[in-house]
Amino acid sequence: MRAPQTAPPWMHLAFAALSVAFLAIFSWVLLQESFAEWRTRQAEFLAIERQVKDPHALALAAHVGGIRQIWLRDIDLVDRCTTCHLGTDDPDFQVAKQPFATHSGTWLTTHPPDRFGCTICHGGQGEATNYRDAAHQPVAYWPEPVRPRELIEANCGVCHRERAPAEAFLLAEGRQRIAAAGCVACHDLPGFSPDEIQAPHLSSVGYKVRPDWVRSWLADPKTYLPRARMPNFRLQKQEIEDLNAFLLSQRETAPLDSSGVDWSKADSEHGRILFGEARCLSCHMVDDRGGLLGPDLSRVGSKVRRDWLFSFIKDPMHDQPDTRMLRYRFSDVEIRDVVAYLTTDLVDPEAPENAPAAGYLDPKQVAAGRDTFVKHGCFSCHRFNGLTPTAKIGPSLMAVGNRVVERPEFGSMNVVPTLANWLYLKLRQPDSLAEESRMPTFNFTEPEVASVVVALLSVRKADFPASRVTRAPSSTPYTPQGAFGALVSRYRCLSCHQVGGSGGTLSTVPLDRIGSQLQRSYLVSYLQNPSAVRVSIEERMPFFHMTPQEAATIADYVGAVLVDDSLERPFTADTEAARRGEQLYRRLGCHGCHIIGASGGYVGPDLSDTGHRLEAGWIERWLAAPQTWKPATLQPDYGLKAEDLRDLTAYLMTLTTSARGRNP
Amino acid sequence: MTARAYVRQTLETGWRTVFRVGWPRTDKDRSAAMISSFFLHVHSAKVKPNSLRAAYTFGLGLISFYMLLVLTVTGVALMLYYTPSPDAAYRSMKDLQFVVTFGPVLRNMHRWAAHAMVVAVFLHMCRVFFTGGYKLPRQFNWVVGVGLLIMTLGLSFTGYLLPWDQLAFWAITVGSNIAGYAPGVGESAKYLLLGGTVIGSGALLRFYVLHCVILPVAVVTLVAVHFFRVRKDGLSAPPGRAPATTAEAAKGGFPPSARSYGLMALADRPAQPVVESDPDEEVMAWPHLLYRELLLLLAVVVALHVVALLFNAPLEELANPTRTPNPAKAPWYFLGLQELVHYSAFIGGVLVPGLIVLALVLVPYLDPSPRGVGVWFSPERRRANWIFGVFAVVTIVLTLIGTLFRGPNWAWVWPWTG
Repeated sequence: MRAPQTAPPWMHLAFAALSVAFLAIFSWVLLQESFAEWRTRQAEFLAIERQVKDPHALALAAHVGGIRQIWLRDIDLVDRCTTCHLGTDDPDFQVAKQPFATHSGTWLTTHPPDRFGCTICHGGQGEATNYRDAAHQPVAYWPEPVRPRELIEANCGVCHRERAPAEAFLLAEGRQRIAAAGCVACHDLPGFSPDEIQAPHLSSVGYKVRPDWVRSWLADPKTYLPRARMPNFRLQKQEIEDLNAFLLSQRETAPLDSSGVDWSKADSEHGRILFGEARCLSCHMVDDRGGLLGPDLSRVGSKVRRDWLFSFIKDPMHDQPDTRMLRYRFSDVEIRDVVAYLTTDLVDPEAPENAPAAGYLDPKQVAAGRDTFVKHGCFSCHRFNGLTPTAKIGPSLMAVGNRVVERPEFGSMNVVPTLANWLYLKLRQPDSLAEESRMPTFNFTEPEVASVVVALLSVRKADFPASRVTRAPSSTPYTPQGAFGALVSRYRCLSCHQVGGSGGTLSTVPLDRIGSQLQRSYLVSYLQNPSAVRVSIEERMPFFHMTPQEAATIADYVGAVLVDDSLERPFTADTEAARRGEQLYRRLGCHGCHIIGASGGYVGPDLSDTGHRLEAGWIERWLAAPQTWKPATLQPDYGLKAEDLRDLTAYLMTLTTSARGRNP
Repeated sequence: MTARAYVRQTLETGWRTVFRVGWPRTDKDRSAAMISSFFLHVHSAKVKPNSLRAAYTFGLGLISFYMLLVLTVTGVALMLYYTPSPDAAYRSMKDLQFVVTFGPVLRNMHRWAAHAMVVAVFLHMCRVFFTGGYKLPRQFNWVVGVGLLIMTLGLSFTGYLLPWDQLAFWAITVGSNIAGYAPGVGESAKYLLLGGTVIGSGALLRFYVLHCVILPVAVVTLVAVHFFRVRKDGLSAPPGRAPATTAEAAKGGFPPSARSYGLMALADRPAQPVVESDPDEEVMAWPHLLYRELLLLLAVVVALHVVALLFNAPLEELANPTRTPNPAKAPWYFLGLQELVHYSAFIGGVLVPGLIVLALVLVPYLDPSPRGVGVWFSPERRRANWIFGVFAVVTIVLTLIGTLFRGPNWAWVWPWTG
């Protein structure tokens, strides 16, 4: 039988069905393309634009249509965010809903989108053209989702590598905390130097501390000092005993001899007065008052031994060569009284009496303590003769912001497995994560941890060209020599003052051009008997008991070296100019912030004795442009004319107190 | 002659210069249409009804060919947007995904068709084995088919690297490491393939050229040979009829071509027919075969569109040579081998794949018995079917284990617990 030579009907039916199916599926493809999410958004935007703009403005508005993108050629970054975020640069969309709202703040002015794009600051996948793939929320296979508000400053820090970038407050705080906590002692971290770490030298600690104090300190430093810088290493009881023995056996440099001191005559009340006069509170805290540069002394009597303290005040550099503590010119009797005040008045009433003696003579325990010391990397912060760190004990954090964390690393913690969460937990409770951790607990508060997390997230391996990166200007340590250098070292001027960008930040007065700012006679007398010029500031220049020769040496040196030639100009003015200057002083409202005599405000320095204190050239240049000399100053820049500057300067130079009256 | 008549005549003449037979209404015209067309002449004018049965071939060979067609069309379209350099390749993917019109559908279709082609070719091979299709005189076409299977894997493997994401980079790292296990030549072969010792811009360019030029040309050539042999030897014989070539085969001679008739056979049959069956029992290829081919093409295209619209092709993070995923897996069709490599690098990487290829090539020569052709699981070939069945099942099971049941550090995991 011959098969029929025409196709059977089922084939025609199948053909019809498949053709319809093909038509349908291909229409679906076409529809999917023409109703793409971004096209719908743009249509919505055009509708809103017609509502918020008047017809004239509408005619002038830029035409919206098609995919828009910003291409940053130098880093080959493509951001298509503006395909949907169409109103970012248009103030008419202040109240529009996202994605059309105007960008907040002045960020688009400081970071123009054509130079910075969007995702450098915000994160997210800039190439995407729909909400989901743009990684507004975390999405698979895109490591950098849009940063939520609480983490966005991490992206500031990728380019802004200076310690405290302006307007990135959380980032700045986090970086300060990283520096203060000494993270760089154990971890490599860009932008932080191990030289910043301040921890006592321990080679002679056996002479310094009491055994019972060491125990409680090692168990939890916060019980002795709520603000203790040293973190809690979660040590076992046996480890504490071993460490105690090891530390108390460290006796390299004996304290200075105090055998001639008659302790029975010690006058702690006199010591208290000396403690106040010397302005120790500028750096040290006692009962929640005072500075943070040095250790809190509220309960120092329960911590240190009397003889060691006597030696330390007499010569702080004797066993702590790197200390920031200055060397006062106290007599032995004065030191005895200060020590008596510190060791009898400032004690911990709860400190155990007659604590068991540490077995520091047991060589086995000392050896075990040394092992514990090494195991926990104590030498990372504490200098210790014979133990120099070869490599950092903790992992490098040079690109910690790029780290990818996986679910198993969180152990039993049930949180979203993001790097931010991982860092947060690691800092809050280092032992809560899957991996066993030797990292100590820092007892950061929640906001503190949040700032540190932001700062750590900013440490990214971003191969941005140097032109996009800002750094703190590098400073070389200022190390003057000779007689002046010896005095700078003895009085630790650089613990508080800055010269050439290096030094402490406690003082508001950098010394780079101090010789051109202050009159020599004033400086000599101020060094010997410093009286506050800024009465509103708690920290005061200490009373060093400096000799007149020393003050003269310093004044001569700064007058010759720490000068600025642009300030050294002759100044002449008549009384008429001074009168006009006085009127100007009133008119500008200077008295709102400055005191003259008994009246005026407390914000700025006291101007009563300006005629004896400041150089006229400095006043004139300072008033012309205060912010160029001191970027953060509150002094307003009035944009004064040259004559006004001269008149105002002339008036200020007439201001003197009668005691040292030079002018009538 | 009016102008209208002139135009009409010119059009008609012009039409007939292209389509010489016109719409065929008689068997003679149908045969003439098949033979006079360059494209249709790949078919014979008549086909056996048995070979049209869906349950006999499942159209697997044709499906494989359609996948190749779809892959060629979408692949050429993708080439317009793709740059084979590590800096630009991943960006190309993102552009295809987000800004190129129809980009996602094109890429999805290319990806899924590539996977489907591997499956279709494998199943086609199984079908041919279980119906005894490799037997005399089709032994060599089986060997060509084995070559096409290997090239299909090669095309898929070289394409795998091109997106330059983590998935691509590490799958190729693992895959090329398997190649490196071969004693003696392994490292050199790997070096030749990668253009270096690690996967970098050189490897990407080599894979691109292999994927877009060398392997496609080779596959098209082999497909032409494959089709030519099918055209000459016909599809394997229907059941219930002993092959006409048995006598010649027994004598050890090579049989004359089974499909050497054409129009002449219809018009004037020779006194001594060399054909294996009566052409009268066959049906015209037009429309029975062509129509089915068209339906299958439509079905394949519709199915691929549906899959492409429902499932996006994977694209992970940018390739990062410093971050190894755990586990790093080869493309899925090599995961059976990777599973074996897990036990022994030499066995999984060299011995087993080498033996498999050798055995496959030798199959038609190791099994010379001409019986049991043209029927599924012929009882006359029970042993051969068992052997191949076990091979196929083991391959599938090992691949499934490697794909679904292996987690970090290649430890056993249950897919539903992940």
